[in-house]
Amino acid sequence: MTKATSRILVPVKGQPDDDEAVRLACVMAKRHKAKIYVVYVIEVPRALPLNADLPEELHQAELALDRAEQVADEFNCEIEAELLQARFAGPAIADEAVDKGIDLIIVGIPYRTRLGDFHLGSTATYVLKNAGCRIWLCRDAIGKQETS
Amino acid sequence: MPTNEFNRIKSHLPGDIVLHRPRVRSRRLRRVLGVPALFSSAYGNVGSSIYYALGVTAAYALGLTPAVFMLAGVLFAFTALSYAEGTAALPEAGGSSSFARRSFNELISFIAGWALMLDYIVTIGISAFEVPNYLAVFFVDLKSWPLNSIIGIVIIGFLALINAIGVKEAAGLNIVLAVLDLVTQLLLALGGLVLLFNPEILIGNIHWGVAPTWDQLIYGISISMIAYTGIETISNMAEEARDPGRTVPRSITLVLFAVIAVYALISLIALSAMPVHQLPDGTWTTELATEWRTDPVMGIVAHLPALFRPILAAWVGLLAATILLIATNAGILGISRLTYSMGQHHQLPPLLSEVHQRFRTPYKAILAFAVFASLLILPGQIDLLADVYSFGAMLAFTFAHISIIALRWKEPDMHRPFKIPLNVRFRGRDLPVTAILGGLGTLTVWLVVVYSHFWGRTLGIMWVVAGFLLYVIYRRRKGLSLFRTYAPALTVATSSRSTSM
Repeated sequence: MTKATSRILVPVKGQPDDDEAVRLACVMAKRHKAKIYVVYVIEVPRALPLNADLPEELHQAELALDRAEQVADEFNCEIEAELLQARFAGPAIADEAVDKGIDLIIVGIPYRTRLGDFHLGSTATYVLKNAGCRIWLCRDAIGKQETS
Repeated sequence: MPTNEFNRIKSHLPGDIVLHRPRVRSRRLRRVLGVPALFSSAYGNVGSSIYYALGVTAAYALGLTPAVFMLAGVLFAFTALSYAEGTAALPEAGGSSSFARRSFNELISFIAGWALMLDYIVTIGISAFEVPNYLAVFFVDLKSWPLNSIIGIVIIGFLALINAIGVKEAAGLNIVLAVLDLVTQLLLALGGLVLLFNPEILIGNIHWGVAPTWDQLIYGISISMIAYTGIETISNMAEEARDPGRTVPRSITLVLFAVIAVYALISLIALSAMPVHQLPDGTWTTELATEWRTDPVMGIVAHLPALFRPILAAWVGLLAATILLIATNAGILGISRLTYSMGQHHQLPPLLSEVHQRFRTPYKAILAFAVFASLLILPGQIDLLADVYSFGAMLAFTFAHISIIALRWKEPDMHRPFKIPLNVRFRGRDLPVTAILGGLGTLTVWLVVVYSHFWGRTLGIMWVVAGFLLYVIYRRRKGLSLFRTYAPALTVATSSRSTSM
């Protein structure tokens, strides 16, 4: 890793693979004295206004961000945790990266299959296609996640 | 504070426990839509109305149909400007209901929102009803009643169901289809200009005071407002716009020019191809208002040279049906968001605005209003739908204009990312000329609808009275004032929080 990294973004979804992504971000942050941003995106259905109150999703988001903070604590790392509401997580993460001047996005993904083949998921695919900065994918071990 | 209000998060040293107060982070809205996405979404909705507005307007305005559309276009432009100022300043889903809340009180806001709801219901109904009429190019029976009404109702039911269970739609596909629609309409207009346009026929179509009569002309103007269904989607989109102060006015301006240009060209070509003529009984008509009343754009295709006809008819039929499906869906989404917003402001009982725990949609509202839309298309009368639309739309738009003027008066220093340009200075305040003229125009048209449109008047007034009673009973039962605004369940603020060891 030779490129300077001063701002790292870790999108979380409250899945086990989030932990590995946050850990990796912490290691990178320590090495490069970088700042870590952790975001959770609540996807609001199109049938509701963007500012709709979704208590269940809010609770899940709180848990996911708290968990990310706990993982960061283990590394004595400082993170900035944030909660976003958007229609789709992919565009929200890509735009957030631009606004915050992010150098590296670390995305934790499970091993998932669809119709018998590996499936990356729409959010990770969108971010890979559209985010301008570097992206690291941190895939979980095969067999640790249920197939979908 | 009792310990059960804390979460245990980590042990620093053996035996130590750090307690961490549960927090509720505030949320930040991530708006990502730029001008192209806003434009194509708005055009997809407003531009879809040409597929039905042309026939129903031509039935009354006859040879003056292009002029009537231009006049309606001016009112549309004034209304769009008011919406641009209002939605840029208050980017919420409620549209005129939100403007009225800020400028007047909750009761006025409710009436504006309730009128807007009627528009959404008609937009859902008319768009769904038109789908089989355009698909009749493949199976001619689809155009006949009651089959077209039945299929329209099936479409509404299907879309209501998938929206109630919260199926994600492909936003990107909608944008592609809207662009395809605009390109097709422009190509049709350009092809028509070359092959069908005839100024002599257009002049010969006009018989002042006879065809149309003055009464018919006034009726035609009021019914032509159906041409701009979907304008309210602009306010829906504004809440998702990145930098709404810049992107919303730009996209509205683009939609304005595109829609008015398409309407001008298509109506001129249609009346060149299907001229006004006198029937043996002395009445005047055009094929647009008879044979092609429910699928007027297909009428233009039918008059093109035989070489282009089969492919173009299939293409236009398929594209129109798809665009109308999207417009139906946009209407369902619009009414769903509006119901939620009105429920948040204690304007509607939870019986309607309740959100399903699993699907996260206001499913009862979606299904209830789908039933209303289905009932409206049951008789298969497009004029009835246009009547009811004009009643609701003119009422909602009048409130939008008056609210914008009132806000300029009451809150002259309010942050307005976009301000309507043409203003008159009165007692130290800038009052927007287009909102004043627009408000007078929409109020006049609404009065014409109330005076001369039987179904618009009957169903419209029934709708307003029923809504008013619902509002009063609900607020009284909850012990709430009819006029006071109560805080919505959610306040949105920028949040960020740092933690460190």
